[in-house]
Amino acid sequence: MRKCILVLMLAVPFAMSGQIVVDAPLSDRLTGYDINAVLNPESHIVSGSMSAWWVNNSSQPVAEAMMHMYLNAFSSNKTSFSSGGRWTASGDEGWGWVKIRTMTDDEGNDLSGSMNYVSPDDGNEDDRTVLRLDLPEPVEPGDTLKLMITFDSRLPSPIVRTGYADDFFFVAQWFPKFGVYETAGMRQREADGWNCHQFHPHSEFYANHSVYNVSVTLPDEYVAGSGGKLIEEIDLGNNLKKVVWRAEDIVDFAWTAWPEYKVLTRKWKNVDITLLTSEKGLSKADAQFEAVMYALEYLGEKVGPYPWPHLTFVDPPIIGAGSGGMEYTTLFTSMGGGVVPSFLKISEMVTIHEFGHAYFMGIMASNEFEEPWLDEGINSYWEQRIVDHYYGNGYGLLRLSFLKISDTDQGRLGYIASPSRSVSTNDLPSWMYPHNTYSMMSYNKAATWLHTLEGIIGTATMDDVFREYYRRWSFRHPSGQDFIAVVNDVVRKEHGDSFGENMNWFFDQVLYGNGICDYRLSGITVKKIRSYSGVIDGDSVTYTSSDRKSDTLYLSRVSIERIGEVTLPLEILIGFDNGDEVMETWDGKGSYKDFEYTGTRQAVWAKIDPLDKLDLDVNRINNSWAEKPKHPASRRMMDKLVFYMQMLISIFTI
Amino acid sequence: MKLFETLKKGAVAAASSYKLILLIWATTMVSAIAVGYPLKSFLNIIFGNSMAMERFTDGFDIGLAGDIGRPLGGLMAAVSAGTLLYSFIGLLIMTFFAGGLFRRFTMSWGGLTVSEFLKASANNFIPFLKLALIMMLVIGAFTFIIIGLPVIIIMAVSGRNMPGGTSLYPLWAVWALGMPVWIFVADASRRWIAATGSRKTFRAIGAGFRALKEKFWLSYGTVLVVVLINSAFIAIAFWYAITKTPDRGIMIFLFFLFTQLLVILRLFMKAWRYASVCEAGSSR
Ligand SMILES: [Zn+2]
Repeated sequence: MRKCILVLMLAVPFAMSGQIVVDAPLSDRLTGYDINAVLNPESHIVSGSMSAWWVNNSSQPVAEAMMHMYLNAFSSNKTSFSSGGRWTASGDEGWGWVKIRTMTDDEGNDLSGSMNYVSPDDGNEDDRTVLRLDLPEPVEPGDTLKLMITFDSRLPSPIVRTGYADDFFFVAQWFPKFGVYETAGMRQREADGWNCHQFHPHSEFYANHSVYNVSVTLPDEYVAGSGGKLIEEIDLGNNLKKVVWRAEDIVDFAWTAWPEYKVLTRKWKNVDITLLTSEKGLSKADAQFEAVMYALEYLGEKVGPYPWPHLTFVDPPIIGAGSGGMEYTTLFTSMGGGVVPSFLKISEMVTIHEFGHAYFMGIMASNEFEEPWLDEGINSYWEQRIVDHYYGNGYGLLRLSFLKISDTDQGRLGYIASPSRSVSTNDLPSWMYPHNTYSMMSYNKAATWLHTLEGIIGTATMDDVFREYYRRWSFRHPSGQDFIAVVNDVVRKEHGDSFGENMNWFFDQVLYGNGICDYRLSGITVKKIRSYSGVIDGDSVTYTSSDRKSDTLYLSRVSIERIGEVTLPLEILIGFDNGDEVMETWDGKGSYKDFEYTGTRQAVWAKIDPLDKLDLDVNRINNSWAEKPKHPASRRMMDKLVFYMQMLISIFTI
Repeated sequence: MKLFETLKKGAVAAASSYKLILLIWATTMVSAIAVGYPLKSFLNIIFGNSMAMERFTDGFDIGLAGDIGRPLGGLMAAVSAGTLLYSFIGLLIMTFFAGGLFRRFTMSWGGLTVSEFLKASANNFIPFLKLALIMMLVIGAFTFIIIGLPVIIIMAVSGRNMPGGTSLYPLWAVWALGMPVWIFVADASRRWIAATGSRKTFRAIGAGFRALKEKFWLSYGTVLVVVLINSAFIAIAFWYAITKTPDRGIMIFLFFLFTQLLVILRLFMKAWRYASVCEAGSSR
């Protein structure tokens, strides 16, 4: 049945389903958009005429269509997006909206009467970000719904991902866009239906891989860029030009225009990379290209190939900073505009992160509304690996001779330092996280337990997990359960049942649970053994403390306690006074564990998780214990403080 | 030539007051350690028997900040409060000893015994404190007019964010060229108080300006040269102290000795400025 639908689908005779960008279709291409748009910089309105199509790949007729009308989130301060106070317009000119002027099907039937705004998530009647279209006739399995829509999109200000500031335009979430029609079984869904959520202050997006043919007419002093491949730029006279792009198999199409963009290009293997930046940002251009190439190399090697031959990224100027740090697969925006000092790798980090989204929800197109950890968490995890691998010897974010932090620890810090770290489980839809914990949970906590998973199963297995994830789920829509199934299969294949039947015990605690992980080395006690006597294996044994010191026996006990709810397998490294080091393991399940050693040596120090595999442990200070710990750093810090204070008073007191 | 002569005489005068300068240094060190030592103990208590401070071996690892948790807030508050407290103590100490140093440098010959030095310091303390506060206020106002005001105007006119980096360099250059004037006036005023024994602060400032007017180029040049050398020295000293991260007992001890040596040198160089200004004022 599915096969026959696929054949039907591929037979759809649309000019747009041909190949211009990639050699063969990468995805099912169930949706596509042909848009002719005109930008009016004065009114900041983009007027478009669009032909959009959707293929019914289910086995049932479908009588309605659902579309995202994202820009309406900016239409008042009563929408679900802005009512939380995250955004408000900068004056009357700042409100944004999208209005459908006309809508017909491909036979010319007027559909504008069958449009209704719905609010499936929260019932907010003032929210008009989801449009339901009751079709006059159902779309039969294998058939294609084709809509002709003319619309006006007024861009908001200030910019939140999308919008304008003066003559800077970042045009995203700007056209009526299909939701995803999910069939039963897909993402563990019980029945077929549309997945089309409202636009929330903390939510991102979800869409089918699509083909886009977009042309934009705008004043010719503007420099424009998009996630599409540039097909042509036509001079229309009257100081106007038309830019034509095509994109294949991407989940969203955004574009930007600003007269002052500087355009730079580089090539990495077969990928043409374009950077749009500002005059100020030019100083950072080399570092930006380097960062994106690091990410291309690392993810290409460890996850799977980057399949598009083009990539555009933007380092927005300060006025357009609100558009920074966002991803549209073959287009993404960095941050910093050239003003971040070079020892701080923030811009590079953002570039690597946003590029990484080309994989984690660009290629593996997960549902960002419902499972934000699946894109932001996984992508932060990879961003941190890349940043710490290429920069600063493991301290990728900041590495000075006196101050350092790794990107991984930066993410971990966001989680462990949050007072609300246990407020909810980690599997909530993006808009359901309480107490402003969306970012902490979706980015920081999820990345932290992914590092912990890597620590447990090993880096090589972790890489294989992602290669398999890519192999199974590229250009499809995986769920969290689907990801876990990949983990379970790969771990079982490579490690048998050494971690148990599957890894569900791990995800139950970190993803579906809200407990914290904290182990403590409570101390070491050493007792001199005076004497003993008794019977061992039928032989009577006596021992009397020797006079010679080297023969004296000691009983050393290393004590560990579990303070948190989460249980993880642990390694413990124990050091003895004769220089011996012993590595022990513990399943971490009980509330305490003692390791005992009898012999002439005495245990003097011990460390839980000496290789820092368990990033999830919220307190690393209580992970080690030494009889006489050396704290040279505190002396040095005091000496420095004394020096700084003496120098400062000599300076400011004339 | 006269400039060089002045600087040389100033240097000789400063060097021959080494006992006084060592006394000042010892006072600053003891009081700074009194503030710094509890902070070290606080940090050691936080870490207890933990070996985690190993992570600070080659520089402060911010990644551990979250693990320290709540006590970190207390530690930061204690450092801030300690620094503030020490700034206040330091102002009193430095003002006090400046009184003795200026007395020493305005004497036509010979030195001061330590008790004479302390007595002179005490005598000049109140007028010097008033003068220091007034001149710090003046320099603050000067900085605001040269840097702060233009920035505010630029921001208001353009409606943009703060102008950054290189665009402010010319303003800072003007500021740097203006600073020796205020420093000279402050020093010359104190010289006047020390030499005349008067306690009238505003008359002293008037005398400072007159001294500047009388021999402007010599006065300005002397202070400019000394301040430039001092600034370069301070920059190098801070660079050294910030970037070096000794991690073993003996190396940390040597680091302590060396940074204290830098403080002594800095105190000498400041005394050199005082002495040179006094020389510039007295030379005919
Ligand atoms: Zn992201």
